[in-house]
Amino acid sequence: MKTQFSVVLFFCLFISLAQAQTGKISGSIFDVEANDVMPFANVSLKGTNTGTTSDFEGDYSLTVEPGTYTVVFSFVGYETVEVTEVLVKKGEVTSLNVEMKSSAGALDEVIITTTTARDTEASVLNMQRNAVNLSDGLSSQSFDKIGAGEVSSAVKTIPGVSVQGGKYVYVRGLGDRYTKSILNGMDVPGLDPDRNTLQMDIFPTNILDNVMVVKSLTADSPADFTGGMVNIITKDFPSREEYSVSLGATYNPSMHFNSDFLQYEGGNTDFLGFDDGTRDRPVNRSQSFPRPFDNDAALTRITERFNPTLGGTRKRNNMDFSLGFTAGNQYDVGKKNNKLGYFASLSYKNTSEYFEDFENNSWLKPRETSEFELRPARLLSGDVGKENALLSGLTGLAFKTKQSKYQLNLLHIQNGESTAGNFQEEVLVSDAIKVFRDNLEYTQRSITNALLSGKHTNKDASWTTEWKISPSLSRVYDKDVRITAFEYNPGNNTYSIRPSSSESPTRIWRNLEEVNLAGKVDLTKRHQLFGRNASLKFGGGYTYKQRDFTIDQYQILIQGSISQNFEGDPNQVLAPGNIWTPENQAGSYINGFYEPANTYDAYNTNGSAYVSEEFNLTENLKAILGLRLEKFDLFYTGQNNLGDLILEDEHLIDKTDLFPSANFIYSLNSDSNLRLSYSRSTARPSFKEASIAQIYDPLTNRTFIGNIDLQPTYVDNIDARYELYGGDAQLFAVSAFYKKFTDPIELSVYSDFSADNFQPRNVNDATVIGAEIEVRKNFGFITEGLKKLSANLNVSVIDSRVEMDRSPSGEFESRQRNLRPGEEFDGTRQLQGQSPFLINAGLDYTDPERGWQAGIFYNTQGKTLELVGLGTVPDVYTMPFHSLNFNLNKSFGEEKNSTISLKISNILGDDIESKFQSFGAEDQIFSLRTPGTPISLSYSYKF
Amino acid sequence: MKKLIIAGFAIATLGLTSCSEDDDMPIEQLATCTDGIQNGNETGVDCGGACAPCDGGDNGAVPQDEDLSGLLSEDFTLTNDIIWELNGKFVVGEGATLTIEPGTIIKGQEGTGSLASALIVARGGRIMAEGTAEEPIIFTSINDNIDLGEKQGSNLDENDRGLWGGVLILGNAPSSFEGDSEESQIEGIPADDEFGRFGGNDADDDSGVFKYVSIRHGGALIGSGNEINGLTLGGVGAGTVIDHVEVVGNVDDGIEWFGGTVNTSNLVVFAGGDDGLDIDMAYSGTITNALAIQGAESDHALEIDGPEGTLEGAFTIQDLSIIGDANAPSGAIADLRDGAMGAFNNVYVRGFNDIQNVEIDDSASAANYTDGSLSFSAWEIVLPEGVTSVSSIFEDTTGSTDFSNDATNFATAIEQDQETVGADLSVFGWTYASFRGAF
Repeated sequence: MKTQFSVVLFFCLFISLAQAQTGKISGSIFDVEANDVMPFANVSLKGTNTGTTSDFEGDYSLTVEPGTYTVVFSFVGYETVEVTEVLVKKGEVTSLNVEMKSSAGALDEVIITTTTARDTEASVLNMQRNAVNLSDGLSSQSFDKIGAGEVSSAVKTIPGVSVQGGKYVYVRGLGDRYTKSILNGMDVPGLDPDRNTLQMDIFPTNILDNVMVVKSLTADSPADFTGGMVNIITKDFPSREEYSVSLGATYNPSMHFNSDFLQYEGGNTDFLGFDDGTRDRPVNRSQSFPRPFDNDAALTRITERFNPTLGGTRKRNNMDFSLGFTAGNQYDVGKKNNKLGYFASLSYKNTSEYFEDFENNSWLKPRETSEFELRPARLLSGDVGKENALLSGLTGLAFKTKQSKYQLNLLHIQNGESTAGNFQEEVLVSDAIKVFRDNLEYTQRSITNALLSGKHTNKDASWTTEWKISPSLSRVYDKDVRITAFEYNPGNNTYSIRPSSSESPTRIWRNLEEVNLAGKVDLTKRHQLFGRNASLKFGGGYTYKQRDFTIDQYQILIQGSISQNFEGDPNQVLAPGNIWTPENQAGSYINGFYEPANTYDAYNTNGSAYVSEEFNLTENLKAILGLRLEKFDLFYTGQNNLGDLILEDEHLIDKTDLFPSANFIYSLNSDSNLRLSYSRSTARPSFKEASIAQIYDPLTNRTFIGNIDLQPTYVDNIDARYELYGGDAQLFAVSAFYKKFTDPIELSVYSDFSADNFQPRNVNDATVIGAEIEVRKNFGFITEGLKKLSANLNVSVIDSRVEMDRSPSGEFESRQRNLRPGEEFDGTRQLQGQSPFLINAGLDYTDPERGWQAGIFYNTQGKTLELVGLGTVPDVYTMPFHSLNFNLNKSFGEEKNSTISLKISNILGDDIESKFQSFGAEDQIFSLRTPGTPISLSYSYKF
Repeated sequence: MKKLIIAGFAIATLGLTSCSEDDDMPIEQLATCTDGIQNGNETGVDCGGACAPCDGGDNGAVPQDEDLSGLLSEDFTLTNDIIWELNGKFVVGEGATLTIEPGTIIKGQEGTGSLASALIVARGGRIMAEGTAEEPIIFTSINDNIDLGEKQGSNLDENDRGLWGGVLILGNAPSSFEGDSEESQIEGIPADDEFGRFGGNDADDDSGVFKYVSIRHGGALIGSGNEINGLTLGGVGAGTVIDHVEVVGNVDDGIEWFGGTVNTSNLVVFAGGDDGLDIDMAYSGTITNALAIQGAESDHALEIDGPEGTLEGAFTIQDLSIIGDANAPSGAIADLRDGAMGAFNNVYVRGFNDIQNVEIDDSASAANYTDGSLSFSAWEIVLPEGVTSVSSIFEDTTGSTDFSNDATNFATAIEQDQETVGADLSVFGWTYASFRGAF
């Protein structure tokens, strides 16, 4: 297979005739009442003739001589704001953001003397306070604070948010099925065919402006989220010329510089996150394979095409390192003061992980229901080494006039992960064998996304039109997964390859490609309702997603009884002398068939239209009422195992639904709000789920069975919240929520007699009731000196109930049959993947003047039902992981341009553990990994 | 002075296009009729088989082969005038009867996983395969050059395994399942394929007649990491006739009983890649007159497991001969596990080495031995070199019984060909094993 490697270069060349003798004041103006930007407000310097107006997004900038000024912001019907003591230095940009309120008759003057940058935590909190829907945000400043280099670790500090496996975001403990992640407000495809959402560990924080988690639905957002929607917003363009470089290194004492580290030889470009073709499938899909009795030398030639490395090698690994570079600038273009800006970022990360004594086991309940202790069925343990390279590039180009803005963002993320595992496995039920297993895997993932958007207003900014078009392509290639197992014969201390008990050595190629095209238009009309500001929003969108999934699988078979001669060394299997030839008539050879039942091709379309009205009912009561319509269709092409069911563009799902939503916010006083919201939402089956695919995964020994009868889940959501805002980003909030799920989808054990077959199903209705508390408080109330020290605590407690399936051989029957004496049983259980509680806590010390910042953060979640047991298979719970992290940042230099950061993760040295639990029995390990305690040091420099 | 700032910035976006759609790997050319080598199914250099006849004469009109696949929902007969081909899974569904004439040859196509060829008689379906010693019914691989009217081809032997799937007969008879469910899914068939279900309440269930049938070169990977047995009997009831059946060169077990009550007789398993006769899930029928011949790749000649659920049931094995392969890396005589329950009477054993033994492997089987629900009588053994007592052949790994000492009571050491117990080999003259001189 030929692999093309194309390098696309973007050269952005800008020539700016900057006035070195002058400085600049720039910022945004915010309309507090409307909770929106303040377009076309007047900005002037007191006592001069210099002035301008804000653009349609509330942004302004003024070029002035160095000095100290008073800046006046005014607009008809609004209180005038004067900001004094604004210092402008030569060649620098002073940032100044203000909020304006309608004057409501009186003509008071408000004087503000503080200045705030746009992406501070306080401003995110402001957006939150004023937003009518429930949301939580995280600014790029807080990324630094918690020392998070990637979104997945950063979002964990948002109330009710947890991250599974370092990748998948759960909001309020609900599974990723109920969480939606969008990029710049647009749908992008996920990278894992098993998941509905996008994984977070691929976004470095240096390309992000902020992350918002929306927990209550409004009509303008897609209806397919229930727990929360994570909107990842990439950087726009900076207000001034800015470059930065950063480099970092992470040392994990339990993983790095370890001479036992396990890896295998890959390609020359592995370090860039992709394979150079070394692992390409070496034979044509339509190749037919002769057998030894065909006496055909072609069989030898075919076998020799396969890479003979089947086992990993132990060698010393290095520590993790990362590099980053960003650049950005803004230019005034033409006489009308139009603005052109760009932002570009390139980041690279190379990590090495080594899990010694990794475990993955299977235990069963005793046959006799009078007995309690679990019995082992399969015990697997061993070492796993992983090398991961992540390269991401983002460029953004924006052009802004007084009334329009155009933006083009291009994003490419390239990721390659090479894994080598060496395991020993003991099978104890229905066979009694000991197996030594070597697995080599390589997964190459990428997303390429383009976003073209525009925003326009009319002259008085009463109408705003916003449009977005976003194509993306995501690809996941599992390239040449190699599995080799030797059975150990204790009688004569030999190792042999025995297909009947421990499988033939297997090679697998899996390809997933997903194309996603999304477009939408939003129109906003500002108007008056009940004599107050109101805005009407309406629009529509269309999303097309198409996915192709194929598997190619080959076996290495052995003619003659020669496998004992390999002495258990996987690299002997395809060693030159051990390959079958017409001359030697014994040895290894390749055999394989392309199976249509393993593949599918599906697409879906989702057309939407909505209308919503945001208005003030009284001075203190604000509401958004909305109605959204979505038409969702899913088409599937594939065939089943028997080959008697072949679907060609079968229309599996055809749903047209209305999603009403109502959000109310009542201001008790200027610092506290009461919120109430209702919305209806949906969760739709993924391509893989709504399929007739029957996919066996030799790595996990499990078969996934698609379900073409799967229907979308509908959820009714009710949220209530009280919040109290203090100065300096302080907050206290209490929320309660209730969710009713109709036809929730769970991944179920197919039936109690096929515990290794899994199928997604619409199970009985479920309810989730939860409460959240969030506190952000500084210690200034003790003494003023402690104001720089603040605490952050949020706790979510969630109770979920789902009725068990009462059909024959279903969960209810099967569990009842296997109850132990004294075990309680009411036919309901916790919802799969729903944690009963989540805790985030942190202490933070920030002293911007001296450039010190330090923090300690703790995060955990309650034990969560991971796999629903059936028959004698016990339930598996993900155990709480107590994550305690510390970070310290120090900025240097007059401009605080240099920063050194130190971060220590998982200080408690906790293990990532899932356990089998059964009534009256000791817990047994399902899976165990030890992440160790990584220590990171990084340096960044801005210029 | 105006300063000219030139900001040049380059970002490399790595666009990696992989040609997964247009597969441009060259196809390796296989043997042809003009390559000057005797290969493929040729019977001479570039002649015979798929090539022109070697004698330059006319082979006569070759009847068209016919494909069998998918679900059979009405009665159907496989006649012996053409060669039938199994293409993927061919399922005799509920209510349908598949009749196979004596002398019929059925060849399975190559393929693994969902493509593995297999004949599956589902619950409620029936098979009427009544061959005779003169005209046995033969299931073999598409690669076997056996022709109509022949009893064996010339290009394969018992060491050519896994070239196609196998035969599965599934019934409604009681079986003991994990978690005590009433039915189960046969291994290797995804759980949503209903035709893979077996087990039930009908001890006298009738799946038809399966007589004088030879199953050769099968055992392909059928799916879920499972190689298929030569003959799989899942929950087959006592109303079914299984008599004179041979399995040759199968990757997995020769014959495996998953529960059920059917009586089976006159069985030969030869040179398998796993166990010879394998019993699970409380099979409670009788096996009469059986011969297990081990090969270099074979595992246990007898692999006996107990019930998986609380339902119990015991088998009887009567008149069994086992011929070992002393060079096989594992290849023990018998492994008794997971609460094995049943009786072995009149067993003749020869050809094993000193570590290939009869082993009680767990405490539940040991307890069954103690209380007599696992029993042995009239064994005759040709002792391996270096072994002086039959006691060394019988081992209880749990150490909780007197199994080894007791052996002197139920087993006798004899010289080869002096046996007075074991299978009546005279009825196996029709088999491929006999043709190969394996006994």
